[in-house]
Amino acid sequence: MATAGIEEALVYHAVARDAHPPLGNSLLMEEIKGCRELHPVWVLLPHHTGEIPPPDQLLCEMKAHGVQAVRMYPGRDHHSFSLAEWCAGELLSALDTARIPLVLDTEIVGWEEVFSLLKSYPRLPLIMANCSYRHNRFLYPLFEKFKNLYVETSRFMGGGAIEDVVRHFGARPLLFGTNMPYYTGTAAVALVTYADLTAQDQEAIAGGNLRRLIREMWP
Amino acid sequence: MSEYSERIHAGLPLDDLEIIDLHAHLGPYFNMHIPAGDPDSMIRIMDRCGIQKTVLSPNLGWQSDFVLANTMMLEALKAHRGRLYGACAVNGHYPELSLDELNRCFQERHVVMIKIHPAGTKCRLDDRRMERIYDFAAQHRLFILAHTWLDNDPYGNQDLFASVAKSRPDILWIMGHSGGPYGSAHAVELAREIPNIFLDIALSMCPARQIEFFVKELGAERVLFGTDNPFIDPRPQIGRVGLARISHQDRVNIFGANARRYIRFDESAVL
Repeated sequence: MATAGIEEALVYHAVARDAHPPLGNSLLMEEIKGCRELHPVWVLLPHHTGEIPPPDQLLCEMKAHGVQAVRMYPGRDHHSFSLAEWCAGELLSALDTARIPLVLDTEIVGWEEVFSLLKSYPRLPLIMANCSYRHNRFLYPLFEKFKNLYVETSRFMGGGAIEDVVRHFGARPLLFGTNMPYYTGTAAVALVTYADLTAQDQEAIAGGNLRRLIREMWP
Repeated sequence: MSEYSERIHAGLPLDDLEIIDLHAHLGPYFNMHIPAGDPDSMIRIMDRCGIQKTVLSPNLGWQSDFVLANTMMLEALKAHRGRLYGACAVNGHYPELSLDELNRCFQERHVVMIKIHPAGTKCRLDDRRMERIYDFAAQHRLFILAHTWLDNDPYGNQDLFASVAKSRPDILWIMGHSGGPYGSAHAVELAREIPNIFLDIALSMCPARQIEFFVKELGAERVLFGTDNPFIDPRPQIGRVGLARISHQDRVNIFGANARRYIRFDESAVL
């Protein structure tokens, strides 16, 4: 982060994604304890199996721990649950009410599913991670229809892509992301600093938009 | 802290060293929207971050009409003398037409390389129909930029690339993308063994500390600056090299000095 000039980051634990969410979430809280630059993101499952508390209790714990966003990995190749109402509906409704940003990976969740989520949960800030230059034809019609859709920029590196989104939709949907430590933050930073945008739009993408989402949590 | 940290964070072009992009494209592509894919937009973005020269081969060159692609490339070169240079696209399934294209394109003095996309053309790098293309490259001592992607690409994976590079030491081989985001270690192993292999850094999934790893394990002299512009915006790649924890001389080599060492860029039109 220092090399790239990044001041703060939202982080989740690899164990929460690759092994078991509750274990990874608790490891995360241990590892970032006392580190003011890093803010927790929890990986969630629906509560039915008892691995994660029911939504009301879960949200209380999240608030107490200062969790600033959540991630979910649905599908049988990942955490083996569905985002459909019959499975994750109670959890998603609770997140929607509390306006907790939900990060989903474009490589895991299909665009029909994204459309359905945006339509069903209009207050839920939905952040798509891993969007690349191949996704604009899915993203643009969704940006036109939904104000609660966001893209993190770690792979959103198509030629002129940042400026084109801002030209069509403003800077609102773009949130700075790096995917560190898998990718380098140095590339992600230069994408924004060299963007041909107003300083106001650059600042919004670099951090202002995310800070606003975090301020709007827990209405 | 990099000597370019302030400039990059201020969004200012790096203007005290030469930056040459050896891996770029041009124009539209079937499965993506490319907002800044025309030559003028590419030049505008190059100016924004300080890239002086870009060697390009149009996107149509590997899955569609490579003759049309080369014509687009030649037109772009004429419109931007001294800024845009060409890599002639060839396709091993059409060996005679490929040779015709090499002869046509290399009449233009700003065409300086050959581009091969084995996965896109679905023609293996070791296909015997490629031999006459390789002979042309050897005769003119050219770089061939070949797309490589991990080990699941049957047409141009890193090992296949290395075996062909080893069998043709008379050609300078650029391992496009260095095998992709998880290919770095194997790319270095192969380049250490085979001296006519050069590593390309163009990637949208930029592995953390990859530049430092290449410099430490192979040396900056065999690492070439490439961006995949306009598939990928070149500006993040400036940050990747410009902020890497390497020496100034290593940065100079990667950004442009290595390319200068092997390619004679005709600049008569811009003097």
